[in-house]
Amino acid sequence: MLTLDGLKAYGADTKSGMERCMNNEAFYLRLVEKSLSDTSYDKLKEAVAANDLDAAFEAAHALKGVLGNLALTPLYEPVSKITELLRAKEQADYNAYVDEILAKFGELKNLCN
Amino acid sequence: MEDFNEKIGWKRRILIVDDEEINREILGNILQDRYDVFYATDGKKAMEMLGDKNSDFSLILLDLLMPVMDGFEVLDLLQGDEVLKHVPVIVMTSEKTAEVKSIKHGAYDFITKPYDMPEVILARCERIIELNEGKSIIRAAEKDELTGLYTREFFFEYIRRFEHIASEQAMDAVVLNIDHFHMINEMYGREVGDRVLCSTAQTLTEMFGGETFIASRTDADSFYLYMNHRENYEGVFDGLQDELSHLTHLPRIRFRIGICQDAEKTLPAENRFDHAKLACDQIRGDYTRQISYYNKEDNDRELYGERLINDMENAIRNGDFIVYYQPKFDIRSDTPHLRSAEALIRWNHPQLGMISPGSFIPLFESNGLIQKLDRFVWEEAAGQIRKWKEEYGIAVPVSVNVSRIDIYDPELENRLAGLVEKNGLTPGELMLEITESAYADNARGLIETVNHLRERGFKIEMDDFGSGYSSLNMLTTIPIDVLKLDMKFVRNMHKDEKSLKLVELIIDIAGFFGVPLVAEGVEDEEQFKTLKEMGCDVIQGYYFSKPVPAEEFGKFVEEEKRRRDAIC
Repeated sequence: MLTLDGLKAYGADTKSGMERCMNNEAFYLRLVEKSLSDTSYDKLKEAVAANDLDAAFEAAHALKGVLGNLALTPLYEPVSKITELLRAKEQADYNAYVDEILAKFGELKNLCN
Repeated sequence: MEDFNEKIGWKRRILIVDDEEINREILGNILQDRYDVFYATDGKKAMEMLGDKNSDFSLILLDLLMPVMDGFEVLDLLQGDEVLKHVPVIVMTSEKTAEVKSIKHGAYDFITKPYDMPEVILARCERIIELNEGKSIIRAAEKDELTGLYTREFFFEYIRRFEHIASEQAMDAVVLNIDHFHMINEMYGREVGDRVLCSTAQTLTEMFGGETFIASRTDADSFYLYMNHRENYEGVFDGLQDELSHLTHLPRIRFRIGICQDAEKTLPAENRFDHAKLACDQIRGDYTRQISYYNKEDNDRELYGERLINDMENAIRNGDFIVYYQPKFDIRSDTPHLRSAEALIRWNHPQLGMISPGSFIPLFESNGLIQKLDRFVWEEAAGQIRKWKEEYGIAVPVSVNVSRIDIYDPELENRLAGLVEKNGLTPGELMLEITESAYADNARGLIETVNHLRERGFKIEMDDFGSGYSSLNMLTTIPIDVLKLDMKFVRNMHKDEKSLKLVELIIDIAGFFGVPLVAEGVEDEEQFKTLKEMGCDVIQGYYFSKPVPAEEFGKFVEEEKRRRDAIC
């Protein structure tokens, strides 16, 4: 089950996240759980695989906004980086970022089980 | 102001536009205590919600990157809309460059992502709303210094807010006016006048403060009251009168009250109060009525009348008025034959279609415009008599109406004589119909005018004879040439014995004075026969012909010409 402690241990800035949710723990946790079904992860992965940088940027940007607000730092950081690279359309090893993001996403998912 | 909003539980509306549900929820959660929060998932949906004229948002929180329609596009659309460009927008973004761009596109401010702390967001929203409202309505003073009631602007703003949250509550618009308030000011001084106003405000607030009640003072001595609906206002304001005498020690202060009831709620409050004011104004000077209810039919009739008044002069210029002619037949011989005609005005309005003379003649009589219409008919008729003369070689006299107001025109005789001369007529060919009731109005003036006209050779027909009060007395003082029996008698002749007797009597009177009698409104053979037997001389009515345009009337002239030729 997802808990504040679990999130804290995961590396989330739960203090900021909670504040944004008016310190309503149930509300915060519900939103974090809801973020797990975000389809943008799959979209990002597929777009990068297809080398469609515009689509990849859109997906990354969408994720960045939500992750930032929920203060899920371990995910927010790599997503922010890939978003900025994609925005600038720089040559980079996007697959490595996607792997990292999916790994952190997997960790977050495990917290819920 | 916040007091009032809290009292009625009104909240400003904020629209959050973001494609990410989680972001929407976080923001909504922050704002929901203070605002009524609405959500749109993309720019297109947002524009749809904003397009509803009742949406009334105080602020838009707008994400920039969204599918379907992005934030910049929304900003541009808002800027291009006369109403919506006044709704402030706060853009939500994480990029510095986008901030500058969005400000250029009309955004007021921005919120960064990840979101700042809730207090910061709330404070920012509040500030922007305040700034924006300060620019528009809220600059005005909220309360009237003298009475403490709301000023007009705030009064209507609060009604609007109230109706947002309680649209189903039945409410009336009431306008209360102090009768002859300027007299109070003049007789007792301004201070006393002010005291009357304050006492009125205070008493009204005490009387109705327990219910939903919003009040304002406008136009010095008018009180606008937005109050719970009542079917009947009889007695509702009685307490006010007593309390006021008590507070001001003035003798009886009178009020007039106009009410527009809840049924008109589909209209904006301003219009409902206009209607209440109209109702209130309608009983000005009528001391038998203190309360007047707005009634849509009355209002529509008034508007219709206003329109006719406005359109009248143009209609004359554009030829929308047409003169029709109804023949009058001499029935003394075995075969009735054309004797003369009556000119009757018709109005073919380009938008309203054919307007019955019954709807505009009394209206124009009441405000003097009839004079212009009369002169138009005189000219038309005089010209027509000439045309028939030229075409058929015989003169068909035409009667025209001379309204009461024309009697006062010092130029009347010259005007008519000029027309006759211009068209090469004899004065007897342009016959003048004067309604009997003009005698009651201005007997001396009428006698004088009739005498002068007759001296010049004009023939006077007394119209509507028998309908007024003065009939018999008048006949001894005014020399006339033709009597026209009021059409009511003919119409009722076979329905009641009295009318029949009266017709007989009037025919005798005409005989006694030696003037021909014209019966109007003769519609069927039975009426025709009866009148003929009784000795009536001339008949006008549908039995022979309805009023027809001049060209169509030509056939009657032609026939008369043949008849005359046959006699010779």
